[in-house]
Parts: sequence; C-alpha cells; structure tokens
Amino acid sequence: MRICLMGFGAVGQGVARVISMKNDYLNNKYGLDLKLVAVTDTSGSAISQDGLDVDLLLETKALTGKVCKYPEFGIPDLKNSKTMDMVDYDVLLEVTPTNIEDAQPAKSLIIKALEDKKHVVTSNKGPLALFYKELMSLARENNVQFKYEASVGGAMPIINFAHDTLPGCEIESILGILNGTTNFILSRMTREGSSYEHTLQEAQVLGIAETDPTQDVEGTDAACKTVILANSILGTDFTLEDVKVEGISHITSEAIALAKKDGYLIKLIAEVSPYSLSVSPRLVKEDSPYAVDGTLNMATLKTDLADEVTVVGLGAGSLETASAILSDLVNIWKKL
Amino acid sequence: MRTNLVLELQDVPGQLVGVLGPIGTLGANIVTVIHQRDIKTDKGMVPVQITIEGDQNTLDVVLKKLKELNIQVMAVDGIVLKEKITTILIGNIVDRDVKDTMDTINSLEGVQVADLELKLSENNQDSSTKIVVEAEYGNRDMVMDKIEEIADIKEFKVISEV
Ligand SMILES: NC(=O)c1ccc[n+]([C@@H]2O[C@H](COP(=O)([O-])OP(=O)(O)OC[C@H]3O[C@@H](n4cnc5c(N)ncnc54)[C@H](OP(=O)(O)O)[C@@H]3O)[C@@H](O)[C@H]2O)c1
Repeated sequence: MRICLMGFGAVGQGVARVISMKNDYLNNKYGLDLKLVAVTDTSGSAISQDGLDVDLLLETKALTGKVCKYPEFGIPDLKNSKTMDMVDYDVLLEVTPTNIEDAQPAKSLIIKALEDKKHVVTSNKGPLALFYKELMSLARENNVQFKYEASVGGAMPIINFAHDTLPGCEIESILGILNGTTNFILSRMTREGSSYEHTLQEAQVLGIAETDPTQDVEGTDAACKTVILANSILGTDFTLEDVKVEGISHITSEAIALAKKDGYLIKLIAEVSPYSLSVSPRLVKEDSPYAVDGTLNMATLKTDLADEVTVVGLGAGSLETASAILSDLVNIWKKL
Repeated sequence: MRTNLVLELQDVPGQLVGVLGPIGTLGANIVTVIHQRDIKTDKGMVPVQITIEGDQNTLDVVLKKLKELNIQVMAVDGIVLKEKITTILIGNIVDRDVKDTMDTINSLEGVQVADLELKLSENNQDSSTKIVVEAEYGNRDMVMDKIEEIADIKEFKVISEV
C-alpha cells in the first residue's frame, strides 16, 4: 500500500518509525507492505515512486530538519497538493498541524485526495471538528475509506472500537477525559497541592504543555474531540461552536483540596450526548473509572445493551499516536 | 414480583417491627429483612433492606403507607431515592453572601444543605466553597439548575459531580 504522508513532525515521524519497525510483521500477518512514496514538511518534499527509505528519511530530518534534503529524491519548496499530483499513491496520510479557524491546509488536502478516489487517514482534529459531514459524504460519494482514529484520544481506541467492536450496541452518551495535558496538570496539582500557574510551567518544561497552552487549558482541544465523537459515534451533526466549553485555568489548589477531602478529584470532563456537548471541570469519585492519572485519557460509553464500557489509554505521543494510525491503515487494507 | 427496598430507620428498639407490621397487613409478603445496625447513614440512621413479594398494586400501597409513616425510602430495587449532591463553587464567595446562597438552596422543596465548607485563597476572587446538598431522588437537575442560576448571578464557577 503506497502512502503519501503530509506533515513530518512528531506524528509523521512516529509513523515512519512504526513502518521501519513493523513492516516484516505486517507483511507476515496481513500481507501488507507499507511503502512511503512521498513525504512533505514546510521545507518541501521527498518523493520516490519505488518507496523512500524510512530510516534514511528519519535520519535526514533529524540532521537537517528538512525532508527536502533527502538524498537524490528531495525537492525543495514542492508542497501540499503539488506533491500529491506528482505521485501515484493509495492512501493520503494527513498529519499537519491542527487549525481550528478554517482547518487548512488539511481540509484542501483531504478533499483533493477523496476526489481523486484515494483513501484518507488523518490525526488532525481541525477538518473533522469543522467539516465532518461534508468530508464524510465526499468519502462516501467517491467510494473510499476515511479514517481518523488518532484524532481522539491518541492511542486510546475509541472510534473504531465503537464502530467495529460494539456494532450492535447503540451508544447513548460518552463521558470522558480527552486531553492529556490538562489531566496531567490537574493530577499533579492534586498530588503536590501546587498552584495552577506553577504546575502549568512545570508541564511546559517537561514538554507536556505547549508554549502556548491555550487550546489545551481552555478546553478547545477537548471540545474538538467531543464534536468528532458525537458526529462519528452518535450520528449527530454538531460543529465546534455547538460545544459549551470551560477550561481549567481558574481551578485553584484550594478547590482541589476541598474535593479531595470528600473523596473527589477535579477532572476536565467532556460530555457527549445527542442533544448537547460540553467540556468543563467536574467532580469525579476517587475510585471511579474517571480517576485516571497523568496524561492518560479515558472514555465511558453508555450503551443500550452492554451498559457502560470504559476505555483508557495514552492520549498523545509519537509512537502511541502512530499506533492508532497504523490500525486505520491495516483496517483499510483488510477491506480492500 | 419481588422488590427490594432500602429504608432509613432510627436505631431504636421497636422501629423495625413498627414498619414490618403495617406492610404485612397490606398483603405484601416479606421475603427477607437485612438489618445491619453497624452501618449508619449520615444522620445516624440505620439502612434496612427488605424484600417484599406482591404485585405492582401492592407495592404502590406499601410505598404510600411508608410515606404516611414518615419512613424515608432510600432505594427501590437499587435505585437511590435520596441522594447527596456535592458541588464546589469558585469565586468571591464571602462578599457575595454565603448565607443567602444557602437559604436559596434550602428554600427548594425536599432539598437541604447538609454541609458547607469554605476555603479562602490569597486572592478573595477565587476562594472555594464546597456545598453538599441532600435531595430527594429525582431532584438533582432541579438542584443543579438552581446552583447554576445562583452562580450566574454571583459570578461563581461551578464544578459539579459527573
Ligand atoms: N503529537 C501528538 O501526540 C498528537 C496526538 C493526536 C493527534 N495529533 C495531531 O496530529 C497532527 C500532527 O501533530 P504533530 O504533533 O506531529 O505536529 P508537529 O510536530 O507540529 O508536526 C507538524 C508537521 O506538519 C508540517 N507542517 C506545518 N505546517 C504545514 C503546512 N502549512 N503544510 C504542510 N505541512 C505543514 C511541519 O513541518 P516542519 O517539520 O517543517 O515544521 C511538521 O512536519 C496535528 O493535527 C495534531 O493535532 C497529534
């Protein structure tokens, strides 16, 4: 299966490492040979119809920061849709940065691929949170698969889990922790009794929070994920502006201490129902499934037949996120 | 049809008989009684679990009788009829009249503030208050709406239970 990879940051490089680590395994188990035929970053592209050497690609990126420096096949300044036009590929793997204003460049890239009748896998919340319906119908019209497991919960299985593992159950609602950064901050404030500001700085030093942490701490990231879960699993037609969002920046160590005294923790909880979407700090019981620590994500799906089913997993990370992308690729391959 | 009821009884002699007697005369067959005197509810009452057998009509009559006897039914078939609702409010609690907040909640029917704890922070603006409300089963949404309403007026952030 030939992959055109857009974006070569943490996730893109994670995918390259996974291909390097797992190609024999995938070949033996599924007869699947993953071939990277094109890669882009902001410098340009590397393209080879016979498949790029992923180890050399990773090394080139590590040394120069630019995929266009790839020996022989690097092309400076060639990017995005122009790259897609230069190769024959089967799956577009879109892992560029999330943009919640207009979802670009991801939106255009995905649309182009779908219209060209290519399968698409993405980890990018932007296009899904803003244009879910449009993109899904485009995929259906063109008879191709569009998968996005990594966009919610990183390595935590949830979207394919709901669709493929619980296909006979109606999912009535979902309640979960969908942002690892805020869960890390709240967990640490609970354990150390430290202030929000101090703990945020600590998370930034550790590389868990970004220099501009707004999207995480103000709940926007989790809000995007509630939209994706609602539309994908509950069959609704929400977009980002339908979510009632409150972040964690006003949470104090005093509030956490009061909660703790009565056996509660404060967590940033995303609530997904057919009628409303919300993200807000809530009280959860210390011994409940919501009491996950550190950067873990979790979600409890309320179903009609199986009652409550809970999943837990790492919400971010290079290889972890790549693992979810790999599930999508294997699933596409199995259905070809 | 069997139904499990959990009743809240005072821990004094004669209470149990005082309840079981009237239930028996209503035609309900009492199958089991579990009376654990070592477990106490928040108000120092003892939860007693009884299983009765009878049709829906008999059950309805029994529930009505219990209400007449002023016996609190905590649960029917595992469904809790009285619950505690814990909320934390963050904001300038002191300046915005703590007593008024409590009175407003207490004025709701079947609802009572059972516990209130304040924790001031360096900055009065973001002090925290924990409020535990005890409400009859089914009133959670009403209580939360009221608390949200108060919070809106007094500019508190509400952290509610999941
Ligand atoms: N990191 C995670 O754990 C994780 C988990 C789940 C989902 N996601 C999502 O996955 C996506 C990728 O995340 P990431 O962590 O890999 O991000 P990242 O490290 O910032 O990498 C982004 C990549 O996209 C390239 N890029 C930037 N702007 C571009 C543009 N306008 N057109 C084309 N390429 C562009 C960057 O090029 P340069 O290398 O030249 O800068 C970089 O290679 C994001 O949407 C993110 O939300 C990430």
